Amino acid sequence: MKYLISLAIRSAWNRKLTLGLTLMSIALSIALFIGVERVRQDAEDSFAQSVSGTDLVVGARTSPVQLMLYAVFHIGDATNNIHWKTFLDIAANPSVAWTIPVSMGDSHHGFPVVGTSTDYFAHFHYSDSQPLVFSSGKPFAGLFDAVIGAEVAEHLGYHLGDKIILSHGMGGIGLAEHADKPFTITGILARTGTPVDRTVHVSLEAIEAIHLDWQGGAKIPGFSIPAQYVTKFDLTPKEVTAILVGLKNRAAVFKMQRYVNEYQTEPLLAVLPGVALDQLWQVVGIAERALLAVSGMVVVVGLCGLVAVILASLNERRRELAILRSVGARPLDVFLLLSAEGLFITLSGTLTGLVMLTAITATFAPMIQSHYGLMIAPTFISYDELGLLGIVIGVSLLASLAPGYSAYKLSLSDGLTPRI
Amino acid sequence: MVNPVIKIENLAFRYPKADSFCLDIQELHADAGDRIFIYGHSGSGKSTLLGLLGGVLSPERGTISLLGHELATMSSSDRDRFRADHIGFIFQQFNLIPYLSVTDNVLLSCRFSARRSDRAIVSGNTLQGEVARLLDHLDIAMELRHRPVTKLSVGQQQRVAAARALIGSPEIVIADEPTSALDAERQKAFLDLLSRECIAADTTLLFVSHDRRLASGFSREIDLSSLNRAQASQEAA
Amino acid sequence: MQTRRIFHSAIILMLSLSSLAVNAGALDGLSRYMGIGTPPDAKKTEYRVGDRLEQKPTTDKSPYKEIKWDDLMPKDWDPTSDFKKLDFSKMKDSDPRAQEALQHLREAWVNAPIEESMNGARIRIPGFIVPLEVVRHQITEFLLVPYFGACIHVPPPPSNQIIHVFPAKPLKKGMESMDAVWIKGELEAFPSDTEMGSAGYRMKEANVKTYVPSGDCPCPFPGS
Repeated sequence: MKYLISLAIRSAWNRKLTLGLTLMSIALSIALFIGVERVRQDAEDSFAQSVSGTDLVVGARTSPVQLMLYAVFHIGDATNNIHWKTFLDIAANPSVAWTIPVSMGDSHHGFPVVGTSTDYFAHFHYSDSQPLVFSSGKPFAGLFDAVIGAEVAEHLGYHLGDKIILSHGMGGIGLAEHADKPFTITGILARTGTPVDRTVHVSLEAIEAIHLDWQGGAKIPGFSIPAQYVTKFDLTPKEVTAILVGLKNRAAVFKMQRYVNEYQTEPLLAVLPGVALDQLWQVVGIAERALLAVSGMVVVVGLCGLVAVILASLNERRRELAILRSVGARPLDVFLLLSAEGLFITLSGTLTGLVMLTAITATFAPMIQSHYGLMIAPTFISYDELGLLGIVIGVSLLASLAPGYSAYKLSLSDGLTPRI
Repeated sequence: MVNPVIKIENLAFRYPKADSFCLDIQELHADAGDRIFIYGHSGSGKSTLLGLLGGVLSPERGTISLLGHELATMSSSDRDRFRADHIGFIFQQFNLIPYLSVTDNVLLSCRFSARRSDRAIVSGNTLQGEVARLLDHLDIAMELRHRPVTKLSVGQQQRVAAARALIGSPEIVIADEPTSALDAERQKAFLDLLSRECIAADTTLLFVSHDRRLASGFSREIDLSSLNRAQASQEAA
Repeated sequence: MQTRRIFHSAIILMLSLSSLAVNAGALDGLSRYMGIGTPPDAKKTEYRVGDRLEQKPTTDKSPYKEIKWDDLMPKDWDPTSDFKKLDFSKMKDSDPRAQEALQHLREAWVNAPIEESMNGARIRIPGFIVPLEVVRHQITEFLLVPYFGACIHVPPPPSNQIIHVFPAKPLKKGMESMDAVWIKGELEAFPSDTEMGSAGYRMKEANVKTYVPSGDCPCPFPGS
């Protein structure tokens, strides 16, 4: 048995050019197959751990998924804003333990700017009830203070005391800037692996201040209020984009949700983050299943190629098989030899594919994290992926049996004197 | 009275879906040390006879006994093992496996038979040493032994094949037109080398060829066309 | 020969089955994407909005007593009593008393009292999950409600029909909103004059098992 394996390996090595190409096609298909599953898992993980301990997310009435996307992940825009009075009403509700108002619309070099209160740093939790921790500095105290996430600091090379200018809108380039009102970085947050890392946080009053001399989304021409005079105006926010709510009794969440949804003054939506995320996964899951099926097909194609290559080589190898039979190999040994060859190529291809996937992931993970806030971990293979891999190896084992079987029949009919 | 090494009686074989027998032999005996020249042109039933002797084909009627073992009573995997243990084969050409070295090709017989492996080292030699000894006897120069087998000439390949057939002293060696691809002078040389080794080990040699000129030097000569009654009856028809 | 044919067929069959499995996954995904078959929202096709879980009587001698959701409501509590006293035939259209009574009913529903005798009871009860905390795809904290769809399309349950559950171990991966489970453990019933602000039920260190539609849990609870 061991000798047959040694023969199979040496035989495969002899035809390394053709078999090498099939090995590469299998490797690529495995990398794609496992990669799709891994990206989905890691993206789900990243999303799921972005908010913890928050009972309700409140925004202007829209779809639950859209609300989660802009309020928590800072992706997309709100359809409408919430009046400040509404926020105060909600905060004053006896069931409420804490609230975090957030206001969005500005950006800094592509990173979203979020206006919020200092309650954010006290009450916002992520992952497994982890609080926000400062790697340096502290929350904003002065009007034009800013606290930035770890990714912003790293990507743009900022330190405490640096001055930054915010842009209006989320486009990234060609945006109007609030150039006359620079902010000072007074705090940098430790890395969380959530969208917090790529966010610039300022106070709600500061958002008011930079838009004092703006109207309808643009700066009023020929009119400007210098930074040092803004405090003379009333900087109480007029609106917020969304509110994160924490309750004293988590079981009261339905009561509070109904209160918000039926609020008479303006149309609001309150969602339970866990439930809304499940809805998001259902939507995403459809595309993901399709993608997984397609990449599964690609693996099957790769295996078909392997079987075809080995079958094609069988005709040339008839004399070789006759030699083996003449020294006492049984037809079963011939079967095992050919099957082992197929299996050997598949296993090597799978290993190569995993190595390639790990290398690609490791190379692109920092960029993906910087742009999307998603953490894709460059692990070699995870426990859940083993199941998928097992299926692939099982199918390839079956596929390898086909040329083995063909060789078996051939050696039976050829005997010691193949007619070529 | 020594038991014959090969004993065929009343043998008849027909391929599936064939109307008539292609091989029909009343009797064929060979003793230890016999060196038999079998004259058979293509179509004389020679491949069938070799297949039956090698145990890959089963006769419809009659018996084949090798070394006292009746092949028909053995299962196919037992016959495969028997062939590995007791028979060495030399084909007409393409005898060697291209992705194995010269030494590994010779040792192929020992990989499938523990008995051959044991007998190869019986004189206190190692397997490698025994390979070297045989290659010496068969006039394969040292520097050739490390070349890829595809770089050897046909004559050299045939001699390496002979070494593989001879290693471990099998009782029977069957050579199927081993010299047909060689030129005249090399043919004689090959024959001499092979015969010498067989005599030394008291091996029964069955040498099939269509070239009658090589028949001298063998202890017996058999014309397969006459022996094969199926052939004769076909020719008569 | 027979063995050869069987062998041949077996190989073809296995290869076909495995490619069928891959295809099935593709078709499933495609059909959902194109809106054929089950729409994404109603993926739990065996339950409709408002469905409750069947609780068949058992002879289970476990120390954890199976209760019904009604047992969590005080026997004398009937928020509809005021409403029922009204005689609609005697009212004019848009009578403010009708609206007021409805409003009172709704408020009573929301501020429902708890059954204090249930405090400390060792119970098991089936219900649907509303996840509160999810860590690495595993639910670590959830609310248990009596009927399907409790957070969509129908009024939410009153506070004496919600249990705030802390499972002893995070739930296995793949559990999500509106999954049906059994919970087993010691119930806490706390009245409204605590720092929690309102009355409710809670279960810590709960044992959670998937609900199997036959009504009986087929496997013994570990440690019961």
